[in-house]
Amino acid sequence: MNLYAYCLGDEATAVAVGDVAGVAGARPRLVARAGLTAVVSEYGEERIAVTREGVLAHERVVRRVLAETTPLPFRFGTIVSEARLESYLDTQQAKLKAQLARVRGAVEMSVKIIWNREAAGAGAEEPAGGSGTRFLMKKRRELLGEGEAEGRAAEVDAWLGRALEGLARESLVSLRPSENLILAAAHLVERGLLADYRRALGRARTERPELHFLTSGAWPPYSFTRVDP
Amino acid sequence: MKPSPEVPLPVEPEINTLHAAEFARELRRVSETLPPRINIDAQSVEQGLAKLVLTLIEFIRRLLEKQAVRRMEGGDLAPEQIEELGLALMKLEEKMRELKAQFGLAEEDLNLDLGPIGRLI
Repeated sequence: MNLYAYCLGDEATAVAVGDVAGVAGARPRLVARAGLTAVVSEYGEERIAVTREGVLAHERVVRRVLAETTPLPFRFGTIVSEARLESYLDTQQAKLKAQLARVRGAVEMSVKIIWNREAAGAGAEEPAGGSGTRFLMKKRRELLGEGEAEGRAAEVDAWLGRALEGLARESLVSLRPSENLILAAAHLVERGLLADYRRALGRARTERPELHFLTSGAWPPYSFTRVDP
Repeated sequence: MKPSPEVPLPVEPEINTLHAAEFARELRRVSETLPPRINIDAQSVEQGLAKLVLTLIEFIRRLLEKQAVRRMEGGDLAPEQIEELGLALMKLEEKMRELKAQFGLAEEDLNLDLGPIGRLI
């Protein structure tokens, strides 16, 4: 019998799990080792399908813990034997405790920004020719627009950084100048600063009506965690 | 030593946007690259190798596109040649999309950090 692994924490994790149902309806339990606590449940297979039900079950368990304390979440689909998990905790305890210290007291907030390039380029004529010709013409337009798009994405990144200055402990930003979704940012925010962060983000959104925002959180700190047994 | 208790949170996250359909469309495009089944163990080695190989192919593919555009702009190609070249590159782009999806790789995964020189793509 394998274990499905949800997240890692310390002594505080033990009080947070409760009676929530996990993946395949299994009741989560704890594996305590080397001053760390892993939240797991019994799982009979080697693999797991990416289904809505499974993902929500994973998230349900991790969020139950997150409500009380910030754990290191495993990626969805982490299946491991108990022996291997215990060995991982034993050999990696220093690195895992350092990761826990990094995220302690904080949560992940997400900001995604779309630049509506179709609206910006509205009215541009579709070039004549077959599909191969139109493909190359599209690539030509993309190459010409690349420099401009890179500058735009960098400007939006810098502006967002200024708008949220001092409110994020750490930030991870991915820029995709050639896509509609030009910026995806993960911010590690102290729980006590969440209200200030949300207010600052709300003010920032009103400054840039040409940008479309998707903001969400609080999430477990997936972007700031590397746990891989 | 027990860590001090943290500020408790509501169980559900807040999600805020005025453009739900637009973001759903963009995020669906990303989710299409996810594989249907996940096994972290076996996949990591295979995926690492696939990432390296596909990164190099993607680099060459983009060079070919740029070269084709330059030749088109330079008047080197007859209209039939432009069409044929465009079709071939279009099929190559589609095949790369399929391969990335098969290995669960997003576009930003295909890159190499060359240290002081910067990133390959």
